[in-house]
Amino acid sequence: MVTFAPSAWPPAPSSLEAAEPRFDISIVVPMYNEEESIEPMYRAITGTLASINLKAEIIFVDDGSKDNTFKRAKELAAQDDRLRVIKFRKNYGQTPAMAAGIDHARGEVLITMDGDLQNDPRDIQAFLEQIALGYDIVCGIRQKRQDKLISRKIPSKIANWLIGKVTGVPIKDNGCSLKAYRAVLIKKVPLYSEMHRFIPAMASLAGAQVTQIPVRHHARQFGQSKYGLSRTYRVLLDLLTIKTIVAYVARPLYWFSLMSLLAFGLSALAFFAGVVELWQDPSHPKVVMLGLSQIFAMLGISLVFSGVLCEMIYKFGDLKIEALSKIRAQRFGFDKEVKHGG
Amino acid sequence: MADRPFISAVIPITDGRYDGIEEVYYAYKKALNDQSLDSEFIYVLDGAYPEIFAQLKALRENGEDVKIIKFAQWFGESAALSMGFENASGEILLSLPAYYQVEPEELVKVIEALDENSDMIIGRRNPRSDSIVKRAQTWTFHFLLRLLTQFPFRDLGCSVRAIKKKVMEEVQIYGDLHRFLPVLAYRQGFRVKEIELKQSRKNSSPVIYAPGIYLRRLLDILTVLFVVKFTKKPLRFFGLLGTTLFGIGALTGLALLVQRVFFHMALADRPIILVPALLLTLGVQFFAIGLIGEILIFTHANQMKEYTVEEIVN
Repeated sequence: MVTFAPSAWPPAPSSLEAAEPRFDISIVVPMYNEEESIEPMYRAITGTLASINLKAEIIFVDDGSKDNTFKRAKELAAQDDRLRVIKFRKNYGQTPAMAAGIDHARGEVLITMDGDLQNDPRDIQAFLEQIALGYDIVCGIRQKRQDKLISRKIPSKIANWLIGKVTGVPIKDNGCSLKAYRAVLIKKVPLYSEMHRFIPAMASLAGAQVTQIPVRHHARQFGQSKYGLSRTYRVLLDLLTIKTIVAYVARPLYWFSLMSLLAFGLSALAFFAGVVELWQDPSHPKVVMLGLSQIFAMLGISLVFSGVLCEMIYKFGDLKIEALSKIRAQRFGFDKEVKHGG
Repeated sequence: MADRPFISAVIPITDGRYDGIEEVYYAYKKALNDQSLDSEFIYVLDGAYPEIFAQLKALRENGEDVKIIKFAQWFGESAALSMGFENASGEILLSLPAYYQVEPEELVKVIEALDENSDMIIGRRNPRSDSIVKRAQTWTFHFLLRLLTQFPFRDLGCSVRAIKKKVMEEVQIYGDLHRFLPVLAYRQGFRVKEIELKQSRKNSSPVIYAPGIYLRRLLDILTVLFVVKFTKKPLRFFGLLGTTLFGIGALTGLALLVQRVFFHMALADRPIILVPALLLTLGVQFFAIGLIGEILIFTHANQMKEYTVEEIVN
């Protein structure tokens, strides 16, 4: 039996939407062409849930499968109203599938896992224990990974190291889908494109407490692995995006201005060189250095304007780092009782 | 379809392209009535068309089920279509041109083709009665579109389309995108099919348009390419462009520097030094644009859903 830290559990009833049924935990499983895995997966999850005395729901997200995944899921859902099935109109990829599961989850704690039986639902218990200790995000680290060394393990080692260095959140195994989140937090974190790899980094924006625990990992029993090496370039650009956003999004003008200082500096230098040339030999027209000066000056100006533009976008956008700060802020000594997750 | 659905036909009147209002209306109406399809007609006037307005009111007074929406000024065909669809009460929306484009009796084909396995049926004018010049233009346009976006449509200029209502609840059109409605719907995961309709002999349009029109069509393709490919990840596109330009600039600069240091070629006198400077500048600017795009997406990520849900069980 799992107990939760008193500050976070149980949540104040006023923070709940009245109409929707509520659950303690939601287990989110994206599925893509998993007609063979789906039933064993369902059995394994319900088997684990039977030993945990919590109100739970299971969410299968069918990411536009071409096989009978949805049909099987629907059959299972007909007998078990804890099972919610979301069918995508077409294949969108893993992150949107996770995002949809998270959007439609009604639990206070969300657990995500792969639909291909490589994660083991028996680990759920350990994740809940960590949440009860007060952590907001619990990430799994796959022990004895059952994947190919060259094409899967080594690239992912390098990627994990790089992601940790750049984002400042050293997650050992970003590729492990088995993770647990506090719903108030994850529902506020923007999740798009292939950003699921960077959820811990994103959530650290909101001051989330992140921990990692070892999990079991099984070899694929059915079907083909759907992800390969080709995504490296995209991961790198995503990483750059995430770094920029994490570091600069709240103060874009400041950072763009800093960059423009460099351009203005170069411009001034070229201008100075041009003037000196002209001074020494006024008979010849000198365009090269002065032209150079102009180009860099224009770059500086356009960078400042870009900064202003970003500032405006941030101001009128609906996602504010300040708003994220409210999620995890602790309040002391106020008269009114302040809810967790504001 | 088994049970006869109610059809809402939406006819935008825009850019001054229309044939005899009454004549076209009765031709359409007859085509639907012949198949005993119940229907309403919604005319959207994109701006002031006093004569057409009077003719439509006359139709109403004759007891025809004609609804009229009148815009205060020109807003474009996309706006007109959206407005018409929004006010439609039928489960099946039928967009029709206000002029003869296909033979009226061919209309029902798009409605009949709209079954459980499709969400939108679009017409393709074939056989065409147009001249070879016009056909070549259509072909070039769709060849470019196919090349850039891999969408298999062959006649987006045909505005005869039957659409299930749920499609228009999810797909938004604006600007000149009405032409690309099938593309947008297809991308959202709706099943779009193209069927052949016989082109009307009365479908007349200029053989050669003004050059501005061609430029707009080309820009349309670029818009679609952007909307479809790069709106979610602007840095992937602009970053690649920026890195390339920056890289070329850096290499040229390096070459000049090597010449200066090791071969004693003066640098300050050579205008070529402006080339790497310009390339570096351009590269940085592209990158900055990509980052602006990323921040735009990030700050609005919570309202835009990247997926479309077809069904939720439980």
